[in-house]
Amino acid sequence: MYKKILTVVAVALLALPVFANGDSEQKTGGTFVPTQNIEWYCTSSPGGGSDIFTRTIQDIMTSEKLVNGQNIIIQYKTDGAGEVGRALVSTLKGTKADYTLLTFNSGDLMPMDKNTDRRFSDFQPIAHMAVDNHLIFVTPDSRFKSFKDVLAALQNGDNVVMAGSKGDDIACHAALIKELGVSADQFAFIANDSSGTAVTSILGNHVDLLICKPAAASQYVEAGRLIPILALASKRFPGNLQSAPILSELGYHDVEVPNWRSVVGSKNMSPEAVAYWTDVFKKVSQTSAWQDGYINKQKLVADYMDSVTFKTYGSKFEADYLASIGK
Amino acid sequence: MHNLILLGNGLLNVLSIQNLLVTGLGAILGLMVGAMPGIGSLAGVALLLPLTYKFNPTTAIIMLGALYYSNMYGGSFSAILLNIPGDSPAVMTTLDGYPMATVKKRPGQALYTSNLSSFIGGFIGIAILIFMGPALAEFGLKFGPVEMTALLLVAMTSIGWLVGDNPTKGVVLTLAGILVATVGMDTLTGSPRYDFGNVFLLGGIPFIPFVIGTVGFAQVMKLIDEKDVGTKTVVEGKMSLKGSLLSRHELRRLLPPAIRSGFMGTFVGVLPGAGATTGSFLGYAMQKGFKSEEPLGTGAIEGIAACEAANNAAAAGSFAPLLALGIPGSGTGAVLLGGLMMWGLNPGPLLFSSQPEFCWSLIASLMLANLLTLAIALGIIPWITRILSVPIKLMIPCITIVCIVGSYSSTNSLYGVIVMLISGVVGYLCEKNGYTTAPMLLSFVLAPLLESNMRKSFIISHGSISIFFTEPIACCFMIVLLAIIATPIIRGILSGKKR
Repeated sequence: MYKKILTVVAVALLALPVFANGDSEQKTGGTFVPTQNIEWYCTSSPGGGSDIFTRTIQDIMTSEKLVNGQNIIIQYKTDGAGEVGRALVSTLKGTKADYTLLTFNSGDLMPMDKNTDRRFSDFQPIAHMAVDNHLIFVTPDSRFKSFKDVLAALQNGDNVVMAGSKGDDIACHAALIKELGVSADQFAFIANDSSGTAVTSILGNHVDLLICKPAAASQYVEAGRLIPILALASKRFPGNLQSAPILSELGYHDVEVPNWRSVVGSKNMSPEAVAYWTDVFKKVSQTSAWQDGYINKQKLVADYMDSVTFKTYGSKFEADYLASIGK
Repeated sequence: MHNLILLGNGLLNVLSIQNLLVTGLGAILGLMVGAMPGIGSLAGVALLLPLTYKFNPTTAIIMLGALYYSNMYGGSFSAILLNIPGDSPAVMTTLDGYPMATVKKRPGQALYTSNLSSFIGGFIGIAILIFMGPALAEFGLKFGPVEMTALLLVAMTSIGWLVGDNPTKGVVLTLAGILVATVGMDTLTGSPRYDFGNVFLLGGIPFIPFVIGTVGFAQVMKLIDEKDVGTKTVVEGKMSLKGSLLSRHELRRLLPPAIRSGFMGTFVGVLPGAGATTGSFLGYAMQKGFKSEEPLGTGAIEGIAACEAANNAAAAGSFAPLLALGIPGSGTGAVLLGGLMMWGLNPGPLLFSSQPEFCWSLIASLMLANLLTLAIALGIIPWITRILSVPIKLMIPCITIVCIVGSYSSTNSLYGVIVMLISGVVGYLCEKNGYTTAPMLLSFVLAPLLESNMRKSFIISHGSISIFFTEPIACCFMIVLLAIIATPIIRGILSGKKR
C-alpha cells in the first residue's frame, strides 16, 4: 500500500515542472520589447464591459502591430469577485511582471479597498483609457414613467427596488440615496454578478429600476424594451439616451460616480516595460478603431493618461474613497 | 413555416465547404475539450474566440457553437470511463455511467447510451429553439429571483432521492456541501466569508477541482487500496464494435427518459442562470419519479439517458435568450455574446430581426454539429473504451496526472490541485464509510444559486415570505414542494392507522 502511495506521490511531483514558469531575457540595450506571449488578466466575466474593453485593445494592438508580433492571451480570473486575479498580478516578479497586464477599473478598486489590505500602490499604473457613467432605466410596463414618479413614490413612503451590477453600481446607488435623503431599506438595491443578469431581472419586471452603463442597455432602448429616466452624470448622454434628465434638472445635486477603465501591471514591472506599455496604450488611444469602434460605440468618454498622471489620479481617487468609507 | 424557410436559408449557408469544415473542426475540438477534465466549454470557447476574430461572424459563431455543443458529448467520456466528469454537467453521468462501464463491464454500451441520448436531447432542444426561440426567451424572463428560489427549493428536496440507504448520512453530506459552498465572497454584498485571510479561500472552493477530487481522485485512492492489482484491468477481455452496440430492448429503454429530459432540459436552459448542470441534475431527479428497469445509481441506462439528454437540451435552450434578447443563459453564452460584439454585431433584442442570416445559420449549425458529433462519437467509441483494458497499476498514475492537470487547468493555479487532493481524500474516506458523495456535490452546485435568489427575493419583498405564495409561478412550485414534503408524512400517518 505504502509503495503504491509513494508511486502516486512521485508521479505527482514529476508532473509539477509542467506548471513551472520559465524565465528568459527580454530587455535589449535598456529598452523593453516583447519577445514572447503576453498574458492579460481580466477579473470580470467574459462578455461584460471589462471583457469588451480588453478584447478591443487586444485586437488593436495585434492588428496595428504594436506588440512586436507577439500573441496576447486573455485570462479570466473572476474568483473572489476578482480578488484572486488581482492578488496574482500584484505579486508577479521578473519576466512575468513585464509580460502581464491587468484590466483595472474603479469598480474593481472599490471592493478591493473595502474588503482587502491590497491597495492601488500594490500595482504599477500603466494607462488610464476611458470613463463611463451610469443611467437609470424602467420598462414600458413599469409603474414609473419618469424619475419624478420615483421621487414621488419615495416621498410617499413607498418602497422601490433597483437592480444593478457590483462595484461602481453599488457606489452609485449609495451616492444616490444619500443625495435623495432616503434609506437603503426604502430604496433597496440588488447586486447581480453582471449587468446582463440585472437587465434580465428588469425585463421580467421583477424589480422597479435598473442602473447600468449605456453600452449594456443601448440595444434595449433601441428596441423599446427599456426607457432611460435618469442620467447619473453632469450632462445628458447623447443619442437615444438623450431623453434622460440629469439630477440637477430635478432640483438635486448631480450624482456622478464615474467608472474609469484602465490597465495596470505588477508593482514589480521594470521601468523599461512600464515605458513601453504606456506608450503602446497611447498609440491605441489615438487609433480610429479605438475612437470610433469603442469610445463612440460604447458611449464612453475618452480619457487617456500615461502611467505617471494615472498614478496621481488613481491614488487621489482611492484616498477619497477610503475616506468616504471611514478606512 | 416562415421559420422553416429561414432555417433552410441557414442550412444553405452552413453547407458551404468552408462552414462545413469549421463545423467539423468545432465538433472535434468540442469532443476533445469536453473529454479533458477541467477545461470545459467556457474555457474551450474562450480559448478559441481570439482565433475567430478575422472570420466572418457567421463562420465564427458556427465554429464556436459546434464546439460548445459537442463539448456536452465529450464530458461523458471521462465520466463514464474514468469516473472523472469532464465538465460539471457530466457529474450526474458518473452515477450510472461508471458503474455500467466497470461493474457491469459494458463501457461501450454506456457510451452509446450517453451519446444517443445527447443527440435526442439536443435534437429536441434545437427543434424547440427553431419554432419557439423568442417565445421561450420571453417565458424565461418570467423566472425572476422569487420563481427561481421556489424552483430550486423543489430541486433541493429531490437531493433526498440521491442519499442512498442511509438518509442521515445523506443529509450530513448535503449540509457539508452547502457549508463548503458558502466559503468565499458573499454573493450579494461581496463581503468575505470563511476566508481566514487567505486570498484563495476568498475566491471560494472551485467546483471542477472539488468534483475531480471527490469523484476521480477518490477513485484512484480506492484502486490503490485494492489488493493484488498486478496486471488486472478494470474491464477484462477484448472490446469490439459489435460488442459495444445497444440491443433493441435497450434502445427502447433509452427513448422515454431521453425524450422527457429533452423537453425538461430545454425549459431549464432558457431560465436565467440555471444552465446545463442544473438541467442534468433535474433530468436525473425527474427520472427517479419514473420506473427504471434497474435501480438508478447501479449502472442503469435510464439514469445515463436522463441526465445526458437534459444537459444537451439545456445547452440548446440557452441559445434562446442569447439570440432573442442578447442575454446569456450560461458562462459560455456570455463568452459567445462577447464574441458577437467582437465581430461587430450588436447582441440584443434586435439581433433576430437585424441579423437573421447570422441567427438562423447558427441554429442550422447546431443541428449539423449535433449530427456530426454523434457520428464522430459513435465511431470512436470501440477504440476509446480500450482505456479500460489498461492494467490498473498503469491506470493509477495516468488518472492521477489527469486529475492534477484538470484541476490545474480549471483554476490556472496550484490552489486547484490542492483542493482536488484534499477533496479526494475526503471523498475516499466518505465512500469507505458508506457516505455517498453525490448529495454533497449537488448541494454545492445548487446552494449558491438558491442563496443568491432567496436573498434577492427577500430584498424585493422587504423580508416578507408571502411573496413565494402571491407570485403565481412561485406559488405552483411551493405547492409541489409542500406536496413532496407532506407525502411521506401522510403515508406514514395512514399506514400507522391501518396497523
